[in-house]
Amino acid sequence: MELNKQYPIANSMIVFREEFDDWAVLFDPDANETFGLNPVSAFIWKKMDGKHTQADILKLLKEECDDVPDDAPVHIKGFLADMEKRGLVGFEQA
Amino acid sequence: MSENKTETKLPVPQCGYRLNTIYFYLTEGCNLKCRHCWIAPKYQSKDAKWPALDFELFKSIVRQGRELGMSNVKLTGGEPLIHPDIDKILDHIREQDLQLTIETNGLECTPEITAKIVKCKKPHVSVSLDGTDAETHEWVRGVKGSFDAAINGIRNLVKAGLRPQIIMSVMSRNKNQLEAMVKLAEKENADSVKFNLVTPTARGEQMHDAGQTLTMQELVELGNWVENTLAPSSTIKLVYSHPVAFRPLGKVFSQASSRCGIFGIIGVLGSGKYALCGIGATVPELIFGDAEKDKLEDIWNNNPVLNDIREGLPSKLHGICGDCMMNVQCLGACVAMNYYRHKDLFAPQWYCEEAQKAGLFPKSRLRPGSRFE
Repeated sequence: MELNKQYPIANSMIVFREEFDDWAVLFDPDANETFGLNPVSAFIWKKMDGKHTQADILKLLKEECDDVPDDAPVHIKGFLADMEKRGLVGFEQA
Repeated sequence: MSENKTETKLPVPQCGYRLNTIYFYLTEGCNLKCRHCWIAPKYQSKDAKWPALDFELFKSIVRQGRELGMSNVKLTGGEPLIHPDIDKILDHIREQDLQLTIETNGLECTPEITAKIVKCKKPHVSVSLDGTDAETHEWVRGVKGSFDAAINGIRNLVKAGLRPQIIMSVMSRNKNQLEAMVKLAEKENADSVKFNLVTPTARGEQMHDAGQTLTMQELVELGNWVENTLAPSSTIKLVYSHPVAFRPLGKVFSQASSRCGIFGIIGVLGSGKYALCGIGATVPELIFGDAEKDKLEDIWNNNPVLNDIREGLPSKLHGICGDCMMNVQCLGACVAMNYYRHKDLFAPQWYCEEAQKAGLFPKSRLRPGSRFE
């Protein structure tokens, strides 16, 4: 999966609620399932608007956070793959 | 449900749910007279003895439980350690290689008993302590000398190599002692402190009616303070027993689930009756049968209340719990107490219901379009 050729887009049916500590909850009303997002995952979720590639999101993450690890691209890729598997995210091709 | 997917060679029972744990409410009596107790056992002294679960019946239930997948037992009460055959019970649990949890007031945690407890598989012991001084603790527990005896019990457990959890029931009288309790627990080498809320059940209901419990605003503020300020500053784990909707997401999703394992539990009362849990002591319709004559397998597979719960949780929860996004994690917190209040298995949990009425239920945990938004 090329980081710069796919535009992740959040499933619009999923409810996203961010809380005071920057964690967020995702709720799938159809499946009655709830997922917790840590602050970094919540940040990524908010950028999944179909306008940012994964490379864009990584760049924004580095601007926002200190000490982003070298293997962050692998984690982002894994996170998005997991979200896709759960039906929470889709991809638009460049 | 995930908690029933444990790997085992035994076939899954016909109902589709393995029995994980039996809660043994070993004694009908208790050697303390706690003013908040949700079961309200009879006071047992030298002059008054009350029935306790027959040891042969205990062994029979354990054998039947194992055939349904059971690998854990919880001993509670009443007070489990005043059972006349507690030595034999602990030996049997060890021989059967069952994981052991005990909830005790600590008074009978003698060196001899603690030596037997530590030989069991992964023993976890919770000792109740409701004040950091004798005056406060004994106001709650109703018996002089119980504070020193509980502290002694904790020390005996630690000496035996087992760090117990301290459980403190929070109420108006001791609300200013939470931080001191954590310090005491750290000093005594406890493993953790759990702050329980006094539920409006049995004697706890009388405390609510008498205004001896905390207001909803106090409970919510205290919960936030424990989770966000006190817990990060402590060297031991702290648990505040408010429902999932009030817990920080970081704790809900990064720590082991704290929800009731209701799909894998059955209770046995001191009388030998099967029940949903200890609630059977005060709610007769939640008694499922008699271990003297009924087979556990039949009850586990066919009891209509158990099957209603399996079918209805969490989808049939209503009120604020029906509209909560966290109800899969929470399952209504405690079906037994919800039933006690409303005679309805799927009624909302009292804490969330009262918080919603007081405008204190967290809006971010409500489903979109909720009438409570």
